[in-house]
Amino acid sequence: MALRLPDPTTEPTTQTPPPLRRGFTRRQALAAAVATGVGVGAVRLLGGTIQNITRSSTASGTDWVSPLGRESARVMQLLRRTTFGYSPAQLDAALSDGYSKTVDRLIDTKPAEPPAFAAATTPGGRFAVPQLQQWWIGHMLTTPTPFAERMTLFWHGHFTSDYRKAGNNTFMYWQNLTWRRMALSNLGPMLMQVTTDPAMLRYLDLSTSTGNSPNENYSRELMELFTMGAGNYSEDDVRQSAKALAGWQLPPADSTATITVDKVKMVTQKLPVYSKQRPGVFNKKRAYKGSVTFLGQTSTLDTQGVIDRILAQPATAGFIASKVVEHFVTTRPAQSYISRLADTFRRSKYDMKTLMRAVLTSPEFTADANYRALLKSPTEFMVHGARAVGATSLAKLTATAGSGMGQSLFDPPDVSGWPNNAAWISSNTVVERVNFVTLALAQVKGSLPSATDAARTHLDGVLSPQTATLLNQAPDEKTRWFITLASPEFQLK
Amino acid sequence: MNKEIGINQLKRRDFLRAGLVFGAGAAGLAAGYAAVPDAFARAVYAAKQNGMANDNVLVMIQLAGGNDGLRTLVPLSDPTLHDLRPKLAGPMVSQALPLNADFGLNHNLGGIKSLWDKGKVAIVQGVGYPNPTFSHFESIRIWETGDPTRRQVDGWLGRTLAKAYDSNGHPLTGCACGTTDVPGALRDLQATMTVIQNQKTFGFTGGSEVEAAVGALYKGTPGIYGALFDTAIATANDTITTLRTSSSSYQPMADYTDKVKLVYSSKNQLAAALQLAAELIVTGTGVKLLHVTLGGFDTHYTELNRHDDLMGYLDSAVSAFYQDLAAHGKADKVLIATWSEFGRRPKENASGGTDHGAAAPLLMIGDPVKSGLFGAEPSLTSLDTTGNLKYAVDFRSVYQEILGGHLGADSNQILGGSFDRIPFLKAPVAVL
Repeated sequence: MALRLPDPTTEPTTQTPPPLRRGFTRRQALAAAVATGVGVGAVRLLGGTIQNITRSSTASGTDWVSPLGRESARVMQLLRRTTFGYSPAQLDAALSDGYSKTVDRLIDTKPAEPPAFAAATTPGGRFAVPQLQQWWIGHMLTTPTPFAERMTLFWHGHFTSDYRKAGNNTFMYWQNLTWRRMALSNLGPMLMQVTTDPAMLRYLDLSTSTGNSPNENYSRELMELFTMGAGNYSEDDVRQSAKALAGWQLPPADSTATITVDKVKMVTQKLPVYSKQRPGVFNKKRAYKGSVTFLGQTSTLDTQGVIDRILAQPATAGFIASKVVEHFVTTRPAQSYISRLADTFRRSKYDMKTLMRAVLTSPEFTADANYRALLKSPTEFMVHGARAVGATSLAKLTATAGSGMGQSLFDPPDVSGWPNNAAWISSNTVVERVNFVTLALAQVKGSLPSATDAARTHLDGVLSPQTATLLNQAPDEKTRWFITLASPEFQLK
Repeated sequence: MNKEIGINQLKRRDFLRAGLVFGAGAAGLAAGYAAVPDAFARAVYAAKQNGMANDNVLVMIQLAGGNDGLRTLVPLSDPTLHDLRPKLAGPMVSQALPLNADFGLNHNLGGIKSLWDKGKVAIVQGVGYPNPTFSHFESIRIWETGDPTRRQVDGWLGRTLAKAYDSNGHPLTGCACGTTDVPGALRDLQATMTVIQNQKTFGFTGGSEVEAAVGALYKGTPGIYGALFDTAIATANDTITTLRTSSSSYQPMADYTDKVKLVYSSKNQLAAALQLAAELIVTGTGVKLLHVTLGGFDTHYTELNRHDDLMGYLDSAVSAFYQDLAAHGKADKVLIATWSEFGRRPKENASGGTDHGAAAPLLMIGDPVKSGLFGAEPSLTSLDTTGNLKYAVDFRSVYQEILGGHLGADSNQILGGSFDRIPFLKAPVAVL
């Protein structure tokens, strides 16, 4: 054995060093690291294939050798960036379909509905958030349409809300259903939906704003974070649209239930019960009566009017296109690439399918320069890892382990959602990523699938000398999976 | 919002040096330095460049979301406040803890008030910058980088680490406590710093063999994230080694229990983060620049209870932290400073809250401060065109005093200029 992976029943998460056994020691690890070095290298990978591992490049040291000249590598990258990885059968299917047919299938397949979430009718939405996190992760682990979940996750980070302020976890559940349903629809209706979404009405305070004394929170973030980006509107626009947007309130409940909220002091509360999902309702009495000057035009304006005017701004398409590119293609796009996508998006009248198809079929998506240009978010990393070893039972671990890596679903750090790529890397988060692999492998029920091809199917066979060496030294499947999933290669997409 | 940072700015040389130190650390804990905390600390101080000779420590507390300055340091005698805030002003004025005839602290800042009474609190009023942005993220970036022109990428504390300290192999020189991400203020790709969410669980599940294997796995990693990954793992390994020693020798001498239940729970457990900070300081890990965050200050809505609770939460955590440091004989070394991206609008909104504002006071706490009110009281009658308080003190004046006066760093080099002096320190170590 090389790494002694703890068995959850006998040794949960001990910090004390386990006794050394035969095989891989610290000294060997260090020696291996020293011996391999960096530079142009050819390392013998498992099974005897010679792989060209790294090549010299200027300034920044070495770079990965892109395999994207091969159709199979392009298909694997496509699936890595749009799904949560694949089983051997799923990969075979995609490879036999080829790249463009796989893009069509991803975009045109109707999202599978997640199972109904039973706790949603709890009075006041007072169920524990981990239940909701596990429900969603559970669906990510098993869904036949993972692209829908990746897009739902994207929108959850874009039109974001957190359960703490939303104050009713049923609203958070609804918001998740909404983004899945609308994930590949159209930006216009999505903006109307997010404006009247109950969790959002609470999260950014629109439900307490009035025309007489508007609350600017939603108005500002609608423009800064959801559509145009800072610098494309004035402070006056924020104030004027806050007036125009005022009047929305939470939907009335179907019934109320009297619940004891403090058993010690016997405090009871009348809490709302919702039997089905509803949007916010507009109360004309709270609305602003006059006209406003917003984005250069003066008129009376309702919510749809505000949205239409935002959609008429050239900045909007570019802002959304940039965000999509940062998630799916590269952190350093050429301005011409964004302009091209924005133009396509705007001409399609903000059709998300059109935008996503343009992104996935763009030469930039499969350009060598953008190979491994992105970092998997914690959720992507964990679900991909769990699916790679065929573990569909890791929803609980995956739901809780994300917080140490910086991502707790339904609880974004702030109103800008989660950061991207390089911002996921810190001393705390890298340790937690490795710990997830250790715990996940210990919790997998039954035997692990063969890891012999893992480096080829999950890491494209493009390995650093260190990863290759350690994989070659690994004596068993568990260790091989550990090296594969804990490797830097696997963190990238 | 694009949070990308220029990875290629990381010098390969720096990474390789960090890697070598890790190698030495793993091989033999560098001749046992980590086992002897004070020797370790001395090693850090000895390694300093450019005359950085003191062993002072800075703890920055970020009040994220935009702290309401008018509810922190309350104007007691200005009747305009009641016109601007008909719902909020009454109780905040009547309950405030007076510092003089005109100003009082929020009534939940009782612990900080008693530190004021002992001469350990300085308050800088009216802190801001020209042409304020009302975007959280733009303003946070301005405060983090110390650059209102928004050209600077690295954080002001990160630049301090990179320019003033040799932190190779001493990962705790800069440390963010109680979080998972690198705070922008500490970010600099040529600085080594660590992030510890929880010191009790920080480490590799599976112990030292996993630690060693991962150390070997993340070496010379290719690609744009390679050096960032390798440095993070090497720093994590160094941190684990250091924490192993510090945790066994630290006994808290104060009660860090959260005494206030927040209206909705905070993402950041401030008291726990400050307890970790105390552990790192009193055990001589060589820590210099610490950063902790308390969120929840974006009080657009029902501010009355929420802001008071946040003040109480801040007060109990800071009080315990000061008490702990004092009991360990370290209070004379530590400056605690708050910052927030902006204050809030003087006029309240319909939701019983306040929208994004501009200038606000900062709290400077600890033995090194010269107690008193500094800066200038912002006028409630002469607001700017957005209805916000005009700033009187550039926030970089505060940074300058901290850098030069407390840390003994070259503030001109780090801030790219010099600013009006705000002399809130008892005995500044450098002539500014």
